[in-house]
Amino acid sequence: MKQIAIYGKGGIGKSSTASNVAAACADEGYSVTIIGCDPKSDSSITLLGGHRIPTVMELMQQRVEITEKDVVFEGYKGIKCVEVGGPEPGIGCAGRGIIVAIKMLQKISTVMQDCDLIIYDVPGDIVCGGFAAPIRKGLVNDTYVLTSGEYMPLYAANNICKGFARLGNQLNGVICNSRNAENEEAIVSAFARELGSELLAFIPKDPLVQTCERAGFSVIEKEPDSGIAKVYRKLARTIIERDSACDPKPLTDARLRELTG
Amino acid sequence: MSPAPKPLEPLIMHPRPSSIVAALYTLRDLDVDVVILHGPAGCSFKHARLLEEDGLRVVTTALDESGFVFGGHDELVNILNKVIEMFDPESIGIVGTCASMIIGEELHEAVLEVNPDVPVIEVEVHAGYRENTKGVIIALESALAAGILSEEEFERQKVLLNEATEVEKRHGAASKEYLEPSRGDTKYTVAKRIIQLLKEGKKCINILNAKKETGYMFADINAAVNQVAKDLGSDSVIVNMANLDENLGLDRVRAHARNIARDLKGMGVEVHEIIGGLDEYPVTGETVSKLIAEKYPGFDFAVITGVPHAIPMDNLEGMEVISVTNGPRQVLPLKEMGHDHVMVEIDLHPKTLGVSNIVESEFGATLRELAREEMQ
Ligand SMILES: Nc1ncnc2c1ncn2[C@@H]1O[C@H](COP(=O)(O)OP(=O)(O)OP(=O)(O)O)[C@@H](O)[C@H]1O
Ligand SMILES: [Mg+2]
Repeated sequence: MKQIAIYGKGGIGKSSTASNVAAACADEGYSVTIIGCDPKSDSSITLLGGHRIPTVMELMQQRVEITEKDVVFEGYKGIKCVEVGGPEPGIGCAGRGIIVAIKMLQKISTVMQDCDLIIYDVPGDIVCGGFAAPIRKGLVNDTYVLTSGEYMPLYAANNICKGFARLGNQLNGVICNSRNAENEEAIVSAFARELGSELLAFIPKDPLVQTCERAGFSVIEKEPDSGIAKVYRKLARTIIERDSACDPKPLTDARLRELTG
Repeated sequence: MSPAPKPLEPLIMHPRPSSIVAALYTLRDLDVDVVILHGPAGCSFKHARLLEEDGLRVVTTALDESGFVFGGHDELVNILNKVIEMFDPESIGIVGTCASMIIGEELHEAVLEVNPDVPVIEVEVHAGYRENTKGVIIALESALAAGILSEEEFERQKVLLNEATEVEKRHGAASKEYLEPSRGDTKYTVAKRIIQLLKEGKKCINILNAKKETGYMFADINAAVNQVAKDLGSDSVIVNMANLDENLGLDRVRAHARNIARDLKGMGVEVHEIIGGLDEYPVTGETVSKLIAEKYPGFDFAVITGVPHAIPMDNLEGMEVISVTNGPRQVLPLKEMGHDHVMVEIDLHPKTLGVSNIVESEFGATLRELAREEMQ
């Protein structure tokens, strides 16, 4: 079983990448689970035809008895979807929500064990202990970093690698989600190499991603023959097959600026 | 599509025992040598201090504002190393607190880093559970995982804890939205009443149904009833029932039962019915009811000490019921159950820590003194 998480700067495309990879793996006949660890609970929506599902935390808040069928929903090709949920921005503690929800899930459901691929979709940077819970509780064994070739996303990706070093976590590879920066593939490729890792995929910036998203679908489901669908499929295969990882060596800030300059 | 809501349990406003403290007491019962509280220095201070009197060493990682922000991993590793070096313990407990659990501290990471060669019981607990027995269950689960508790004893404890929770919901501290603390009836008045009943030769059921070490003081009350009856030359039949089974529960709890039984014997008190172990206070009720119905019908009054609210009223009906608790919030529920006289032994628990003999109770002392006056 592959247990993966994709980290990267906020808004860089982690959830789109996660859901398209999930859909591509499901197409190949793998059983897939996606656990949305974002309080805005937007990880699984494009796998569920645009529908939102009740989140673990909102049910806990209502103090209802929760069973597997209340929080685990089947999406595209049987992908099991779970959303942790959490508070509105600016109140409470979303990190704690992830810890609590994961504990609850382990108790009431086997989705975290019974599948070929499980993806934890975590928001933005790992801002507090709770957001690292899937890693720290040993639920993630493969981690990927998603970035574009611009300075700030690279800076965030580099910072996350520092976090990995601290958590004793390895890096399985770097994925580039293009924002049409100049020389982008070469920059991210060099970044990956200098970390001690490699660039696994270059996902082009394509308006299809957003059109499909608006309609409530992944590209894989709605535009299976598109070029970008092919890229996601190839990435999915790489992730399923990949078994090498490295202890990332973060770059200096000066070097990052130089790379993107 | 949404699941049916569970009936909402009433919000309970009065402060209640903490799960963190419950975990500490459980580690004490498991004879753990040192416990590290991972959190702010003041967390659970009062109980930590009391437990030190009882032979459990407690230290804290003393997390401060910067610990909350940057995490307390290094502090925990540091204290764990220090504890091993300073105390050379045979077992170590690490207990979470609200602060460390909210920020997502992984106790296990520190244990992995230090890798001690003695068992470490990691208890990921905070005080935000509805039932404080949750702290006991988490501690026992960790003890099971650490290999210092048998599966069989674990299952047994779980049943007892669930029953304890039910008892509290029915007639205890979790039975009402708000319970006013009360000192109950005055010991002087009730002692007088007992002396009168004994002088009239009324038949008495004298029950000790205590929780673990609290038995060291509650037993003194049951003993006093016997002693006073004898001194007064009373014709009363007194049947003594006690949850002092010496072969049930954790070693430490069995030792308490042995000590109390030995002292009672030394005080000339014969226990006629053993109604369970010292950790079985939530489940002795049925046994007592059955005994009264089948063996001891027609008694006039009952004295119940310890956890009186765990004894159902069915077969106490028609008896004058006198009970002694150590919870000021237990007075009202006991009166509502129909107990005629309810007394509180204030601060009983602290006085029963670190002892291995029966200790004098205020009510026992009052009874004895009044009986002496009576005979002059
Ligand atoms: N390759 C792409 N081409 C075009 N648009 C993209 C591409 N990848 C992602 N997007 C769009 O970028 C936006 C942000 O993506 P997404 O929500 O996946 O980011 P995220 O990293 O998960 O953000 P957050 O950190 O908030 O969770 C979405 O509207 C998405 O459709
Ligand atoms: Mg996202």
